[in-house]
Amino acid sequence: MHDKLITLKEITKVFRVGEENFTALNGINLQIESGAFMSFVGPSGSGKTTLLNLIGGLDVPTTGDIFFKHTKLSSMNRIQMAKYRRENIGFIFQTYNLLPVYSVYENVLFPLLLNGSKEKDARERVMNIVSKVGLSDQIKKKPSQLSGGQCQRVAIARALVKDPLLILADEPTANLDSKNSLQILELMSDLNEQYKAAVVFSTHDEKVTRYVRREVGLEDGEIISDKQ
Amino acid sequence: MILFLFRGILRDKSRFLFPFSVVTIGVALVVSLVGFMEGVFMGMIDMTAKLNAGHLRLVNKPFYDEEHLHPLDRALAAQKQTRLWLEKNSSPKIEWSPRIRWGALIDVPNANGDTKSQTPVVGMALDLKSPNSSEVRRLQLDKSLVKGQLPRHFNEMLMGSSLANDLEVDLGQLVTVIGQSFDGGLVADNYVVVGLVKFGITAMDKKMVLIDLTDAQSTFYMENMVTDWLGYLPSFLSFDYYRIAKKNINSKLNTWMKNPPKDWAKDDQPIAISILDQQNMKSMVTTFTIIKSSVVGIFTFLMILVLWNAGVLSGIHRYGEMGLRLAFGESHWKLILTLGIEGLFIGILGSLVGCIFGGSFTWYLQEVGLNMGDTFAKSGLMINDVVRARVTLGGFVQGIVPGIFASVVGTLVASLAIFKRSESNLFRELEAG
Repeated sequence: MHDKLITLKEITKVFRVGEENFTALNGINLQIESGAFMSFVGPSGSGKTTLLNLIGGLDVPTTGDIFFKHTKLSSMNRIQMAKYRRENIGFIFQTYNLLPVYSVYENVLFPLLLNGSKEKDARERVMNIVSKVGLSDQIKKKPSQLSGGQCQRVAIARALVKDPLLILADEPTANLDSKNSLQILELMSDLNEQYKAAVVFSTHDEKVTRYVRREVGLEDGEIISDKQ
Repeated sequence: MILFLFRGILRDKSRFLFPFSVVTIGVALVVSLVGFMEGVFMGMIDMTAKLNAGHLRLVNKPFYDEEHLHPLDRALAAQKQTRLWLEKNSSPKIEWSPRIRWGALIDVPNANGDTKSQTPVVGMALDLKSPNSSEVRRLQLDKSLVKGQLPRHFNEMLMGSSLANDLEVDLGQLVTVIGQSFDGGLVADNYVVVGLVKFGITAMDKKMVLIDLTDAQSTFYMENMVTDWLGYLPSFLSFDYYRIAKKNINSKLNTWMKNPPKDWAKDDQPIAISILDQQNMKSMVTTFTIIKSSVVGIFTFLMILVLWNAGVLSGIHRYGEMGLRLAFGESHWKLILTLGIEGLFIGILGSLVGCIFGGSFTWYLQEVGLNMGDTFAKSGLMINDVVRARVTLGGFVQGIVPGIFASVVGTLVASLAIFKRSESNLFRELEAG
């Protein structure tokens, strides 16, 4: 039995678009357990990214409450939200967003430095995670010298290195070919088993849905399915 | 973290080289300009002080009020007593030198004893004969002598080289000084020209003659009398010190005047003035300070403007990095702080390199100088023909402080846009690449 990591209660998110209100999420109730490996699936505009934003503490709901374990996110201020993200959340982006002037090693090291670690104390941890994603021989290379698949591996290592409880991955395979996509998904699945960090994808890639253990379907801001 | 960021700055030429170059060039220009301006202006102040104004000056007020007429009858008596009083009642940092400033006609006879040439001159009498004379050292008369020697005997004279040329005078020439004595009578006394001096100041070289103080006292019947006591301070002391020293002496003079030396006339009223009270120096110093501050201010403003834009460009270039750091949980304040530290780092580095370039150029102008004799020839300014810059600690400070300030402020102003960035758009922005 897994603990509840994230709980969403009656979440609504309304955006002001010009003179009109646009409801991106409507009455969402959802629980995400520790160690989950799941995806939000749906067409563009269904509310996948908005949901990731709310869970990741990048935005606040219009109504409803989000709990991280037993802490209410909506009662946090901007600085507390930043701390919540820094300590608990790892992000993986579709376009990798690696820092171009830094090497593989330095890109992975970066979140640990943000958390206040010293470089010499973090070295072993970084080397270990880089080895886990299979890039030990590329450690000194810059992102421009790597393939798309390798860049996404670096992004995964960067998300995992601070040992977060939750990783949010927005369309992580969208920029990769089939072979690389499958390799990345297998890697993430393995790491999910090893590190026990919950992984939440937002995707409409069918390959992803074959790997996840739970698939939440979204349409027009509402949950239309929740398959285990 | 800071070291990590510095590593990034140094690797990313597009975000390092431009602001670094701006700071370096700006600081080098400010250091050079300030050094040059300080050199020219302070050189003029120093020269004026050494030649005839002193940093401080004790003078009889009736003489000072009409000094363009050289009214020797208003000179101050009791020379020895006055020296003792000054040494006792003023700062030990001040070195006092008595002078007589006089005006007369110089008549140059030909072989028959008839007038060959004649001209009015500006005369200064000072201690030229004492061994280790502080006046000779201060005016660097040894170096200024282009021909002949310093006076050693009774009634010997130094003459400006251009003046000697105009009067067709050479060494050994007997000339007659025709003027007015202390008591208003006509005096005519012979002097032998034993040296020709060139101060490099056109106004002086064309008009001035120097004689020993004791000879002047004899010629003008001024035993134990001088027109001026010039006080000299170490050059590192500021104008503020002159003002304080002047105030201090004047307050003590008031007490002394209650029981003055018996040789003083009833209406004698010695006053202390500083160089700033003479020859319009105060307004010149004010103008100079305003110009110098304006130059530094304009350069600082321009640097801020350019560095602000450089910061905006860098912000665009690093848009992804900033978004990523916000998403990863770095607070807006910390992000701006690190950018400020980056600005500080570039500011310090640029300022140091700028100081090396600017300082080297200033040092070159200090050692070699710039000959502007043709420009100054008709100006009458008490300024050396060869103007020199001056390497000073203040010059470097006036370059470094604006350099660092501009770099930090420019970066911070540019980074204020970070506050406007909403975290809720980060996913969308970062995915847009």
